[in-house]
Amino acid sequence: MACGLALSLSGTAAAAAGVSARDDRGVEIRLAQPPARIVSLAPNLTEIVFLLGRQDRLVGVTRFCNYPSEASRLPKVGGVVDPDVERIVAARPDLVLCTTDGNPKERIKVLEELGIPCFAASPQDLAAVFRAIETVGALLGVPDRGRREAASLRARAARIAGRADNKPAPRVLFAVSTSPVIAAGKGTFMDELIRTAGGVNAASSYSGRYPRLSVEDLIAAAPDVIFIASMAGVERFPPEVTRWTEVPAFRDGAVVTLDGDLVTRPGPRLVAALEEVSRALAGWRARGAPGRGTAAAGATRRRP
Amino acid sequence: MTRPELAAAERGRRAWAVIVALAGALAGAVALSVTTGPVPVSFREVAEAFRHAFAAEPWPSAAARVVLDLRLPRALLGALVGGALSSSGVAFQALLRNPLADPYILGVSGGAAVGALVAVLLLPAGASLPLPLCAFLGAALAAAGVFVLARRRTGVSRERLILMGVIVGAFLNALIMMMVALSPPGKIPGAIYWLMGDLSLGTLGRVGLLVPYVAAGTGVLFLLSRGMDLLLLGDEAAFQTGLPVERVKTAVYLTASLLAGSVVAVSGLISFVGLIVPHGARVLVGSGHRRLLPAAFLLGGTFLVAADVLARTVSTSGELPVGAVTALCGAPFFLYLLRRDRGKP
Repeated sequence: MACGLALSLSGTAAAAAGVSARDDRGVEIRLAQPPARIVSLAPNLTEIVFLLGRQDRLVGVTRFCNYPSEASRLPKVGGVVDPDVERIVAARPDLVLCTTDGNPKERIKVLEELGIPCFAASPQDLAAVFRAIETVGALLGVPDRGRREAASLRARAARIAGRADNKPAPRVLFAVSTSPVIAAGKGTFMDELIRTAGGVNAASSYSGRYPRLSVEDLIAAAPDVIFIASMAGVERFPPEVTRWTEVPAFRDGAVVTLDGDLVTRPGPRLVAALEEVSRALAGWRARGAPGRGTAAAGATRRRP
Repeated sequence: MTRPELAAAERGRRAWAVIVALAGALAGAVALSVTTGPVPVSFREVAEAFRHAFAAEPWPSAAARVVLDLRLPRALLGALVGGALSSSGVAFQALLRNPLADPYILGVSGGAAVGALVAVLLLPAGASLPLPLCAFLGAALAAAGVFVLARRRTGVSRERLILMGVIVGAFLNALIMMMVALSPPGKIPGAIYWLMGDLSLGTLGRVGLLVPYVAAGTGVLFLLSRGMDLLLLGDEAAFQTGLPVERVKTAVYLTASLLAGSVVAVSGLISFVGLIVPHGARVLVGSGHRRLLPAAFLLGGTFLVAADVLARTVSTSGELPVGAVTALCGAPFFLYLLRRDRGKP
């Protein structure tokens, strides 16, 4: 767990004031003044820079940075796992925002050896995303904006959590692939979204983060609601899977497609995803919680 | 009868006893497969399900549907695929006189993979039927291409077949890597899992579709079994016995390729079975093809159904790719079988 985004210092956003912050590697990043040329090496960090209103400082992003739409028009410096060191250096950044669980360590090290400060953020849950927004805000010289945006997102998430209190909890499955069926298990953002919205992750009995489910696994998991986290446009389950109306979600047509970017990027839009999940769960409750009583297979299922 | 004749008759009787035992093992593996899985179903419910199987009414219970509509087709598909790949492997090993030959050695796998990737990556999502069709067409085209390239006026030599197979295979592999590298990330898992082998496409309809292909393919190979016995002697010697060598080679090659292509189309590239099961079967019944082919079919079917039971149930993190389980569990077992047999040729 990387939750120690302890931000130090940073008073006001006065132009001459130095800024500093400790990143997820425990490295203290000090800048004499807020950065004027920023390279972002992950789509979620690009989204955070836009949220903080500092997009005019971005001089390089990855080819996956597509939100907001202006981000796609910024100069590209490669991908997340294959950032192009030479292009990054050529962009003359005074700060690189990077991640520890996507960007290769060696390339970040090269950048640091060339004297470019690199700030690494890898939030692992919603709370850490909010803290990262505050920390990056401090580092970019807009600490108040950072705190304000984080507080607003926290309030939206808390509202969702409050809405689910003492309500029946549906079994929810997040499918990151439909053929084969691959679910989001414990330790994923999608698992946290399900729990925060008041559901039970139907794939939580599996040990891996992304277990592959056979049709029979799916019947045993008995999800009431299924979300498809679509990575490549609209995705559907193949007919030989959906014909199994023993699965409550297929029987009731409770299959919702979400933009995969929303739920796999630890950025501000996780809260938007949370609201969509919450809406679908409210719809299930409004139908009178149809899965209950008939989904006995779910209650008595076993795993070898 | 002379003493050698008596000994041969005794060996033959023992081999047929082994084949009957293998048929029993296959039935046992299928029975294990229909009674095992993540949805709890008791033996009583399984028996109940089979009693209702012949009644033309809707499923009596969810458990019955899981047994008859999910586990049974999958077990039957495993038996067909394992059997067909092993029979095809026997044929390729005889045709090429090479113990390392398997159904995939001459481009069938690459062709099927390219066909499947075209279906997954280029055709619209949700259309699941074209994948088997595209894979089969790819396999058939690749097999035919290798054959045409290897052919000369004097016939088809083994060396040229292998060489052309390797070249065509390398070309198709390059195509596969290109397609995977250039495709959007969300589409990759489907293609990768198919490449690793996957029995989850088993539905009664697909099994029914596959049965005539497998029956015809293995039937033709069985009719060619004396020809394959003679091919093992080498082309010259086989020709001396009066065998129409080139015609037999052509028939064996096309039959074994189409047999492999038809099952690969439904199951993906399940590895190891077609390479090793023929050797295991040879240890059990000897190398005469009239006994070797049925023994390899039954042993291969048993082996794949058993591997699939493990793939479906053994991991707590979901289903494992059956193509990996076959090699993982099969390698030690067949090593034992083959080392035990060191004394014999």
